[in-house]
Amino acid sequence: MPSAHTVAVLLDDALVTLNRAVGVLRRRNVPVEGLAVHPSGTAGVSRLTFVLKADAVTADRVAQQFHKMIGVRSVMVLTDEDPTTEARP
Amino acid sequence: MSELLTGAEILCRALVDAGVDVIFGYPGGAIMPFYHALPDYPRLRHVLVRHEQAAAHAADGYARAGGRVGVCVATSGPGATNLVTGLAAAHMDNSPVLAITGQVSRAMIGRDAFQETDIIGITLPITKQNYLVQDAGDLADVVAEAIAVAREGRPGPVLIDVPKDVQNQKAEYRDPSTRARGQGARPTPGASAGLLEDGVRKAARLIAGAERPLLMIGHGVILGQAYVEVRALAEKTGIPVVTTLLGISAFPDGHPLHLGMPGMHGEVHVNRAIQHADVIIGIGLRFDDRVTGNTASFAPQARIVHVDLDRSEIGKNVPVAVGIVGDARDVTRRLLAAVEPRRCERWLEHIRGFTRTRPASYRGDLSPEGILASIYETSHGECTIVSDVGQHQMWVAKLYPYQRPNTHITSGGLGAMGFAVPAALGVHLARPNDTVWAISGDGGFQMNMAEMATMVQEGLPVKMAVFNNGYLGMVRQWQQFFHGKRYSCTPIWSPDYVKLAEAYGIPGYRVKDGSEVAGAVARANAEPGPALVEFMIEQEANVYPMIPPGGSLSEPIEAEPAAAAGD
Repeated sequence: MPSAHTVAVLLDDALVTLNRAVGVLRRRNVPVEGLAVHPSGTAGVSRLTFVLKADAVTADRVAQQFHKMIGVRSVMVLTDEDPTTEARP
Repeated sequence: MSELLTGAEILCRALVDAGVDVIFGYPGGAIMPFYHALPDYPRLRHVLVRHEQAAAHAADGYARAGGRVGVCVATSGPGATNLVTGLAAAHMDNSPVLAITGQVSRAMIGRDAFQETDIIGITLPITKQNYLVQDAGDLADVVAEAIAVAREGRPGPVLIDVPKDVQNQKAEYRDPSTRARGQGARPTPGASAGLLEDGVRKAARLIAGAERPLLMIGHGVILGQAYVEVRALAEKTGIPVVTTLLGISAFPDGHPLHLGMPGMHGEVHVNRAIQHADVIIGIGLRFDDRVTGNTASFAPQARIVHVDLDRSEIGKNVPVAVGIVGDARDVTRRLLAAVEPRRCERWLEHIRGFTRTRPASYRGDLSPEGILASIYETSHGECTIVSDVGQHQMWVAKLYPYQRPNTHITSGGLGAMGFAVPAALGVHLARPNDTVWAISGDGGFQMNMAEMATMVQEGLPVKMAVFNNGYLGMVRQWQQFFHGKRYSCTPIWSPDYVKLAEAYGIPGYRVKDGSEVAGAVARANAEPGPALVEFMIEQEANVYPMIPPGGSLSEPIEAEPAAAAGD
């Protein structure tokens, strides 16, 4: 049974960057359950958060797709078991 | 304050400053200010194509053959959308291409203006990055950054969309900032030195303990120019080498350790070697489905070491024992230093036992093998081959004896028919001293044959070979094997290519018999300009062996199925 992972991405708050980021989720057929964009508290940076119903390997694979994107500052994968796992760059 | 330039002039100057010397393009309304400025920058040679798709493929060919960023230019709307196939091909094969598109003026964006299209939105998934430029003062930085992004790390296409009023806007030309030149804030993929060395040590241990090791090398070896290192690694360890479609020519054909191409149309002994290997060292390939077949049964005994520049590729398609994120050349050099010399004679003997006589794929004496041997011999090996997509592509991949690195250029990932002829324009400009052969089937050739006009107008002496079998041959082969020989919409009529070439002022030759091949190829090579040779090959020849889509590498089709089953 796949568990839920929350992925938090800090990225430039440019529409094209957000568009590209959300596009990756659609393009890679990622099983996203919820998605939200918030201010991050830092000027010029937004926080994109989404919930994945997928195993840890899939969650890591999704995180890697964000790591290589221009305009992405950091990617965190949060799980029920280990809420502070940072995806390897 | 220095002199004010228009955005279009800044664009041209930034391209010159970035070292660009060739642009493939097609003018139109929204890119006219750029074309107005262009004659003032004679360093930028413009090649007028006949369709924007060709501009993108030509820029791609230029980039692959020259190792530099290829540039294409189009107007807004249909001009921009026509680039899409070429950008997707460059994206799938990691080719550094810069596309510059005109856009309607800023005030008109979003109002469905004439020839307005959201080319940024359309190309988001098939570019590494793209830019809508809102101020002419940003253009120099954007061009420098775009070129850096296209070539650095894992290369790929980048698009800059420039509204017409920004092209006309006056601004100061500022030298691109350090950040824009690629030394700034962008994340560069890669591992820390410690992680890298750890991976290399683990890989070296696996190699030392392996009885049946195999090197699989892909396009990353060509992009990273790791030929010498890979060859040295193979020779130091005696490990046999498999080259993927895009890895072909990264290792010399005929080398005693070179096995050939794996996958759907790989030779039986290559796929059997993969299925029997206990360690696979994959360098610069993504274990694409055409290479692996069904991943569940791929290399069942092998522990896989995967070397790739892009962290997201490690473990994406096949599970790996050791993942090493890094440049093919750097990592291979480290591996070379870490491994002990060894031999694999028993394993090589084992693989030789798998070798089958290649089933004849053709009747009569006008064989793809003979044609390709003739092209090789008459050009004394000083030739770059650009292939299209389909049956001939597999013959070109498997039967031509590549000796020099990066002399096989094809659309592998996207598999874009129509690629060869326009890509060859770019390959010629990147390698003016090579003979460049664009080899197509009768289907793919008809997709972009209008580029013969570009060859004539621009003086590009590309040699064209058309393998004419009267069918969309690869689809027909699938219909024969998997659809009960129902040849739905695959017979394809052709014009008289010899007369067609002549209409463009290009000498054309038709070859119907094996005895005519060498003469026709030699005449084409001797022509100072472009030339076309049409080969009337066996109509229902097949590419063997073949792994059915989704099938296991262990179960190839080696001859025509006795009774073709319906799907």
